[in-house]
Amino acid sequence: MTLADRQEIRQPPYHRRQGLARLQAEALDHLWPWRSGSTQHRGFQRISLALAALASLAWALAAFGLLPPGAIIGSWFGWSLLEIAIRYAHKPYVKEGPWWGHLYRRASLMDLVCYVGFKNLLIGAALFLALRGLGAVVV
Amino acid sequence: MQLSRLLARVLAPLALAAGALLGSPARADTYEVKLPPELSSSPRLCSYAPCQEVMPGATQFSERKGQPPYVEAYREENGQARLMGYVMLSTDITDIPAYSGKPVVTLIGMDTQGRFTGVKILKHSEPILLLGIPEAALVRFNDQYLGKFVGDNIEIGKSRPAENLIGLDAITGATVTVIAQNQVMMTSGSAVARQVGILKPVVRPAASFPPPAGPLPDWAALVAEGSVQHLRVRPEDVGLKGEGHPYMELWFGYLNQPTVGQAILGPEGYASLMGRLKEDEHALFIIRTDGMDSFKGSGFVRGGIYDRIQVRQDKDSYTFRDLDYINLWGIQAAGAPAYQESGIFIIRSHKGFSGAYPWKLVFLGNRIDKESGAKTFANFDQEYWLPAQRLVGGRPEVIRPDPTWLKVWKERALEVAAFVLFLATVAGVYAQRDRLVRRASHRNKWAVNGFKYSAWLISIGLVGFGAMAQPSITQVLTWFHSLLFQWQWALFLSDPLIFVFWIFIILSVFIWGRGLFCGWLCPFGSLSELLFKLGRALGLKRFQFLLPAPLHHRLKYLKYGIFGGLLAVSFFSMGLAEQLAEVEPFKTTFLVGLFQRSGPYTLFATGLLGLSLLTERPFCKYLCPLGAALAMPTTFRWFGLRRKDECTRCKACAKGCGSQAIDPKGNIDARECMLCLDCMVLYYDDHACPPLAQERKRRTKAGEALTPIDARGYFIPIHPAAPRTDTSTTPGAPR
Repeated sequence: MTLADRQEIRQPPYHRRQGLARLQAEALDHLWPWRSGSTQHRGFQRISLALAALASLAWALAAFGLLPPGAIIGSWFGWSLLEIAIRYAHKPYVKEGPWWGHLYRRASLMDLVCYVGFKNLLIGAALFLALRGLGAVVV
Repeated sequence: MQLSRLLARVLAPLALAAGALLGSPARADTYEVKLPPELSSSPRLCSYAPCQEVMPGATQFSERKGQPPYVEAYREENGQARLMGYVMLSTDITDIPAYSGKPVVTLIGMDTQGRFTGVKILKHSEPILLLGIPEAALVRFNDQYLGKFVGDNIEIGKSRPAENLIGLDAITGATVTVIAQNQVMMTSGSAVARQVGILKPVVRPAASFPPPAGPLPDWAALVAEGSVQHLRVRPEDVGLKGEGHPYMELWFGYLNQPTVGQAILGPEGYASLMGRLKEDEHALFIIRTDGMDSFKGSGFVRGGIYDRIQVRQDKDSYTFRDLDYINLWGIQAAGAPAYQESGIFIIRSHKGFSGAYPWKLVFLGNRIDKESGAKTFANFDQEYWLPAQRLVGGRPEVIRPDPTWLKVWKERALEVAAFVLFLATVAGVYAQRDRLVRRASHRNKWAVNGFKYSAWLISIGLVGFGAMAQPSITQVLTWFHSLLFQWQWALFLSDPLIFVFWIFIILSVFIWGRGLFCGWLCPFGSLSELLFKLGRALGLKRFQFLLPAPLHHRLKYLKYGIFGGLLAVSFFSMGLAEQLAEVEPFKTTFLVGLFQRSGPYTLFATGLLGLSLLTERPFCKYLCPLGAALAMPTTFRWFGLRRKDECTRCKACAKGCGSQAIDPKGNIDARECMLCLDCMVLYYDDHACPPLAQERKRRTKAGEALTPIDARGYFIPIHPAAPRTDTSTTPGAPR
């Protein structure tokens, strides 16, 4: 056990699932920062959903060559900051140990900065390179 | 309070040094300077470039001529102009990028004998030359070319007379830059030397072709066998926005080969073309099937040259003038695509070209910088080599030279192997940490520290000061930008030790966290902690201190701020980010030398090292942006250090944690942990770990056996054996 304090353990709702169902749930968890059925922070939830739609729109505009690289990177960075706040309110946990493991722990703000920063770096770089490959983004 | 005053006393000079350092006037002269746009476009190159400096004594210079362009330099002698040599601008000839990903714009002079007379850097974007290494080092490097013949085999490294190889001294810490610069010098010089006849073309054996047999191949078959090749340039490759079309899409092939020629032109067209060619002349066709521009060039004039296409065979290049062009009226091969532009181009005789050997069609383009609108030279090529069945006797043997990065790897193979072995050993030793810490005790940690200190000494001495392979945040920034903008494997492979080190760092961060690199292998980190241990051994223990926990837990975020700031600044100005990255004292300590740099840098680095005598790894804990960059993915490390339930209450490990990485709940913050393993030594030490010691005492008192300690850090429990009920084993029962 790499955690001394067992009260730090925070298992997500899907932690008992196995196989493909678990992978699907984890993938959704990475992509969807809101907790389903949450009634807390309704106003924040609505605003953040609208901003998420804007961030998605920014990628769509970029795909049509209508957004310069600086704006794409800027909007993705802005969304990442917001995602940290959303996750802190809705899904404040990160995986502890190997990615194939099933142990999660309570996430500090720094944990979420690292998690969202790293995840969105990978997602952003993949999308950016794909758009570059398609010729929609010129640098 | 006393501690805070002490800290303030120590930090004040450091802050002063940092301020002085960032405000230091020591700047490079040609770093990212704005060059006049006419430099790359005006026929009068020498009106915009200091040609006299690279061709001393010259009084007149011609306009740009030839392809690639050069300028003739003359001197007045007895009222007559005497040709002294040639001046060339490197970016007219090659776009080889240096470490920054941008070319070093170099003006080169060469006399009529092919000897370099002068080299002048007009512009560079090399971060290492901005602050770390004086620009004068590159000037001194370039001076090594003076008087050397362009046809010589000149490379970076030691001279090898037996192999006719002339070696040049590299610039320590800027190996990639000088490797690129050497390529620029030799490519530019030899391209002009070949044009003006100083270097003779290589005479290659002529090709011999079998006569056509059977039906002529259609277009698809020609493409499939490689007799027709395809060169595609994307708009983004030249800095333009894609609109569903390539910037240039060319198809081309070699027409002298009878089967190919007849398939493309038809038997009559082929016979007619061959009738027009002299012996040792070669024809190729080019068609443009799509694109945004003409491959012939919109500015082509009668008597001029086609400045957008070129054929290269090894180091020989062939350009085409108007008389080398014949109309291509149609393509006979079935299935040929529709095209918008076409032509047959003739490589004239006595130039050494052979159809039997591989060659390249080169499209000479310009890349437009979106910020400045300036055009920079960029070329795109596609190799062509007739298939074996189209040559009598098949393809001749061709020995291709190794790419530069491969040469470097071969030259340093032993060094690389030793380094890989060292890293593998450290990783192997760390993987056995459970065994090692069980052999150690809190009073004698040599079972662990013996390995760790050895790793430190090798890192400091051989890796840091010896091989100068200290990883740096500048590499992270460069990689990050390369990933998004232009990834070049060859560039990163040019420095094998750094490349290997980064592969190791990335893997080890995900497996164990940043601690294995930061705590065991980072040359500066090792030096810093070694100084702390030395300080203790030298009687400074009473002055040594840890920052109070609340202050430490605030200050530790400073390094993340520095990393984030550097990353953000790098998007606006890589140069400024590189300047700010001087917050790392690595260049001063290992690359340039503590006392080789100006005062502020030396003061900053020595200040940090001096502070390390009093507190453990102050730079690593609070300032290191590289540590922060590695700490972030450490959140997802696979294997952490073990903890017991009692660790929530017991603070024994936390008290001894020099990294201050154990929080009040007993959890280890992997991002801050240097994997020193002190807590793991305690974990298994039944004389030091309070819950274990308690259990040991209880068992000893009760006369119970001290069973081995299991992986969870407890004595294996003693369970009373269950009473046996099996009658076959009861005493007295028949067996």
